[in-house]
Amino acid sequence: MAEIELKTAPADFRFPTTNQTRHCFTRYIEFHRCVAAKGEESGDCGMFAKYYRSLCPGEWVEKWNEQRENGTFPGPL
Amino acid sequence: MIESQRHSYHLVDPSPWPISGSLGALATTVGGVMYMHSFQGGATLLSLGLIFLLYTMFVWWRDVLRESTLEGHHTKVVQLGPRYGFILFIVSEVMFFFAFFRASSHSSLAPTVEIGGIWPPKGIGVLDPWEIPFLNTLIPLSSGAAVTWAHHAILAGKEKRAVYALVATVLLALVFTGFQGMEYYQAPSTISDSIYGSTFFLATGFHGFHVIIGTLFSIICGIRQYLGHLTKEHHVGFEAAAWYWHFVDVVRLFPFVSIYWWGGI
Repeated sequence: MAEIELKTAPADFRFPTTNQTRHCFTRYIEFHRCVAAKGEESGDCGMFAKYYRSLCPGEWVEKWNEQRENGTFPGPL
Repeated sequence: MIESQRHSYHLVDPSPWPISGSLGALATTVGGVMYMHSFQGGATLLSLGLIFLLYTMFVWWRDVLRESTLEGHHTKVVQLGPRYGFILFIVSEVMFFFAFFRASSHSSLAPTVEIGGIWPPKGIGVLDPWEIPFLNTLIPLSSGAAVTWAHHAILAGKEKRAVYALVATVLLALVFTGFQGMEYYQAPSTISDSIYGSTFFLATGFHGFHVIIGTLFSIICGIRQYLGHLTKEHHVGFEAAAWYWHFVDVVRLFPFVSIYWWGGI
């Protein structure tokens, strides 16, 4: 059986705490800023996408996506 | 009376004001809770309690003035009581404000992801700190200078000048309150606007309330000075008002720097 490679977002020195909420939020925002800057289809933003998808709970991502659609997302996109 | 006692302390006559103040406080707090939970009679009890409290303050302090200025019971030793007591009261007020400034810092230094991790939160209209807020910081500072002027006049025995200085103190205070009221009326955000509104209006609102109390205190000192109650050796009431006024003034500096200036950037 092939070795399954397990990895997650690397440790970021900006977020040294056990509570990684801010890390997840920052990666989510970085992904969307990257998409806004480079375009939807560009592959450069894939790294940020993987990071936030590993770090953030699914419910939060869904809630934030909904907020972005409504225009009520509070973060600095 | 005081000539026949062989000690320099003041043994106060029995008075109903402590119990009436307690009852007033009880009515205010219970009425307040009832009102906030929409119980019938809450508003009435709250208003009655407040009126009763204000009445108690009026008659209690009137009695203190009678005992001190008119009956002469306040020897140097007795004066220490109100002096230390008032200083401790101001210390307790410092603690009170400390709580609100801590709340403000707690929310603004590490804003949560729920408000987008930024401060001020998105969409909050922030006031330009260098317009009315700055003016409203200079005004209390000048008022503090005026009250110091009044103090020096009292110490020098220049009674009329002291009245003028106190009038200047009060006028500046009223101008401050007027501007602050106007600013609140025209403010782009309200107390319900996210944690920003809550911390901003609680800190500045309580400060404004204390300004109004300090103004009233200064007005009373002005009236007493005019009536000749204060002498150059004995004016504890005036000193208390001046200390309170300086405290209110310093308290204004903190929100100006941390909330208006830093918090709006």
